Amino acid sequence: MQYQSQAVAKPYFIAAIALFVAQVLFGLIMGLQYVVGDFLFPEIPFNVARMVHTNALIVWLLMAFMGASYYLVPEEAETELYSPALATLMFWVFLVAAALTVAGYLLLSYSTLAEITMNKLLPTMGREFLEQPTITKIGIVIVALAFLFNVGMTILRGRKTVINLVLLLGLTGLAVFFLFAFYNPVNLVLDKYFWWWVVHLWVEGVWELILGAILAFVLVKTTGVDREVIEKWLYVIIAMTLITGIVGTGHHYYWIGTPEYWQWWGSIFSAMEPIPFFMMTVFAFNVVNKRRRDHPNKPAMLWALGTAVMAFLGAGVWGFLHTLSPVNYYTHGSQITAAHGHMAFYGAYVMINITIISYAMPLLRGRNAANSAKSQIWEMWSFWLMTISMVFITLFLTGAGILQAYLQRMGENPQPFMVVQEHISLFYWLREIAGVIFLIGLVVYIASFFVGQNDPEATTAN
Amino acid sequence: MAQPFTKIMARNIFYGGTAFFFLLFLALTFDTMGQLPQRDNRAALSGELGPVIAQGKLIWEENNCIGCHTLLGEGAYFAPELGNVYTRYGNSTDAIKGFIASRPAEGIPGRRSMPQFNFSDEELTAIAEFLKYVSEINTANWPPNIQG
Amino acid sequence: MTADRSVLQSNYPPGDLAIWIFILAELTVFAVFFAAYAFTRLQHVELFNEYQLTLDREAALINTLALITSSYFVVRAVSAIKVDDRRRCVHWLLAAISMGLLFLIVKTFEYVHHYSEGINLSSNTFYMFYLSLTFFHFMHVIMGMVILAAIAVMAARGKYSRQEHTGIESGASYWHMVDLVWLILFPLVYVMR
Repeated sequence: MQYQSQAVAKPYFIAAIALFVAQVLFGLIMGLQYVVGDFLFPEIPFNVARMVHTNALIVWLLMAFMGASYYLVPEEAETELYSPALATLMFWVFLVAAALTVAGYLLLSYSTLAEITMNKLLPTMGREFLEQPTITKIGIVIVALAFLFNVGMTILRGRKTVINLVLLLGLTGLAVFFLFAFYNPVNLVLDKYFWWWVVHLWVEGVWELILGAILAFVLVKTTGVDREVIEKWLYVIIAMTLITGIVGTGHHYYWIGTPEYWQWWGSIFSAMEPIPFFMMTVFAFNVVNKRRRDHPNKPAMLWALGTAVMAFLGAGVWGFLHTLSPVNYYTHGSQITAAHGHMAFYGAYVMINITIISYAMPLLRGRNAANSAKSQIWEMWSFWLMTISMVFITLFLTGAGILQAYLQRMGENPQPFMVVQEHISLFYWLREIAGVIFLIGLVVYIASFFVGQNDPEATTAN
Repeated sequence: MAQPFTKIMARNIFYGGTAFFFLLFLALTFDTMGQLPQRDNRAALSGELGPVIAQGKLIWEENNCIGCHTLLGEGAYFAPELGNVYTRYGNSTDAIKGFIASRPAEGIPGRRSMPQFNFSDEELTAIAEFLKYVSEINTANWPPNIQG
Repeated sequence: MTADRSVLQSNYPPGDLAIWIFILAELTVFAVFFAAYAFTRLQHVELFNEYQLTLDREAALINTLALITSSYFVVRAVSAIKVDDRRRCVHWLLAAISMGLLFLIVKTFEYVHHYSEGINLSSNTFYMFYLSLTFFHFMHVIMGMVILAAIAVMAARGKYSRQEHTGIESGASYWHMVDLVWLILFPLVYVMR
């Protein structure tokens, strides 16, 4: 850690991991509800569990993005953070808002929550991923603005590196596109059209800039490869991302009442979306192969390479699988979508955040470069457990989705939704087992923070 | 093979390409906005039942229906698609109302069940009219069949 | 950047590698679009043939000539800078830009004509492809002109020389791509039956 103020990142990372645990636990509840329909009914109905599952994911990813920014921006800018106090204050505001919102989901009925937060004044609730009460959404905007101000001022004051500029651009885009969450017309088609400006332009747009910047930072630090080379490729990759991804939004405009030319525009451009992910994989492996030194923090390197591979598989390959409109006609809104969503979020955003946490946490906890060898072994085990079980979750959901699309939408005698769900329950059981292994991986990951604490640091000789 | 490959050029392509494709996206969005009136069933919204449909959408949102169901294929995949439920239920708003009203409060042992929301008749009408409005949006023949 | 760098290194492909990655990506998108057009046409040959007749082939021919001419002017601009003739280089670039402008004007007249007949992207599959392809290309012409204008300004300010003119070569390569795409688009959409 080169600058004192980088330490504000630590609570963000810890809270992020705690929310990650909550996300996975509620994921397991939902997974069980898929096969044991009355599990926890009516105390925690499926929609509540799902809300906690997805919202916890979004909040912890945002928390980790913020932590990552507070960690890497001062180091890149070569100056202390503009206001560490503001960063700490915003951490608590964000955490309390998130905790209150989740408590509201779990303790109140959703309609009661809507009523006491006065949703009717500015109805924004009840849309997928944007379930937060309007007041929470306003809170998110305030936190995001304070955060952007803090990071922006730091960058202005210090050295302006490409990594910092790309990160800032991504974070600004994140804040700007979130504003569409406040637009909720009665006209459902318009509602959906601009809802995607938050969801798609986040995860297949500006978030990828953040991903690229964090990955580039970790690679610069761990491989010692010339910054010029890495920054150049960062630009090329994110250029390709936005060139394909912006018009690629069209792959959501096939069947929601929008004109039919989107089937062409969306198919053609989103079919190109795997290209930047592929470039990222090639780039990451190239940089690591050309490394000038062996960094003692092996798990960080493993997570970085894992991000590149899994993002390509999850976002690239599994996205391509159902992005062409003739295919999507049968798979839209099926378990195929769920399969893609799981691996893409894990591969791209969960893994990049664990990468930066893995790199930064030892330093934030007073180590020189890395954890003890024992801790590293635990962390690498957790990598394989989580990653492989996520591959299986994705494969089982894909199997479920293919069968679902066939039985419900393609066969001679299409069967009703609930009947089909019975037929594919075996896949759901297998998915749940893979989910339990994922949880074990997560426990091992958390344990890696505590084992071998008194052992000496690992060195490159190991 | 050592042709120049400069950071400045990569940066210019990033900014230029992004601006270019965002403008293209805006142009397509502009055209879409012009086409939507012919597809999105907005006539229903400005008609006599407009306020009822608006109320239905609000109830839909404030009970997080999207947390289990899909609507035009978007949402959760735990419960049936509702974009075409009006047609699936024989073009009957009463059938929709009857189904929602009859859900057992304690669920169905071992099976998935929709919660009992204790809606008033007015609220049930609003939801049903909202779903009817949705079923009349031109979705390019999606879903492939009545099962959604 | 050292002055003699461009002398030391191979000059193929001309211009910056980054622009070639971009050009490759753009050509891929156009190729997929063209392939989609071709396959869809196979399924609706009658429809495509019928509505193809409503297009203005003379205008498109003028535009083809305009783009070819402009590409020639760009070639002259590159040659000029290679002998350190900055003034000529700028003049040729301006000439190329004005040819691009001619293209935009002619194409706009075509669009106005279609628009007055109430034709849009949703009219039918042929018009969807025709308008999508030509408008996508139209935007590339604008983009190419912006790039040419930028390098013309830089050339006028004396940023380029016999030794260092990667920027001009990069811009020229991009412009040739825009021209090349039209040379495929014109026969494919306007002429082939």
